[in-house]
Amino acid sequence: MIAPSSTINFTLVIGNTISEMEKVVARVDQFGAAHGIPNQIINDLNLCLDEILNNTISYGYDDSGSHCIRVTLTLADGVITAEIIDDAKPFDPRQSTPPDASQTLRERRLGGVGLHFVHALMDRVDYVRKDRCNHIKLHKKLYV
Amino acid sequence: MDIGEEHKGDITIVEIKGRIDSSTARPLGDKLTELIKAGRKRVVLDLKNLVYISSAGFRALLLASQLAEESQGALVLCSLSSEVQRLFDLGAFTDLFPICSSREESLTKLA
Repeated sequence: MIAPSSTINFTLVIGNTISEMEKVVARVDQFGAAHGIPNQIINDLNLCLDEILNNTISYGYDDSGSHCIRVTLTLADGVITAEIIDDAKPFDPRQSTPPDASQTLRERRLGGVGLHFVHALMDRVDYVRKDRCNHIKLHKKLYV
Repeated sequence: MDIGEEHKGDITIVEIKGRIDSSTARPLGDKLTELIKAGRKRVVLDLKNLVYISSAGFRALLLASQLAEESQGALVLCSLSSEVQRLFDLGAFTDLFPICSSREESLTKLA
């Protein structure tokens, strides 16, 4: 049982390739197991991180260079927070894109579904653009 | 993610253990494509041990489903946990796939 006043965190830096993403999954799993966080919360968090990181890596850069993405997980006061900081193009995950009616039904279902998952599974999503970086925070309460 | 494969006549049962996400969606998609193009076009995807699936995973399943249909076959999903069913419902994917509660029901559906 974690004392309410204590804060536990870790930071991981990955490169901007899909193959790097599994490092985040492993570290989040490890963090969850070490601190007794319910599996469902860890799974939801990993799913949302997958959506955000994939979006950044796939669409966030106009060059083919290497970029770092910083992921910090914090557990404090019964809330787990994941912060993602990247130097990709401005992207506010709080904005949702309306479906494109010219797409097929299947394409339309996929477009934006990642962000839909993030908003549905997390309790709060924060965003700020600072020093030419995107700062995204995902918050999830451990106990309802 | 581990992928298991079993044959029952001309139906292939593919069992997933783990998660279908950005890292594992491609290997799964490649496996399903390989099966369907080799003529094993009636596929049951057993998701009993699936932990979660992200939009990258749904994309792979939709592509495989489309390929199976174009090949006069079918991709049937079965044994979704309540947590995974929740994701299908959230993404409004439930009506895009035939979903059965068990392998046996899936095999009957494809027979």
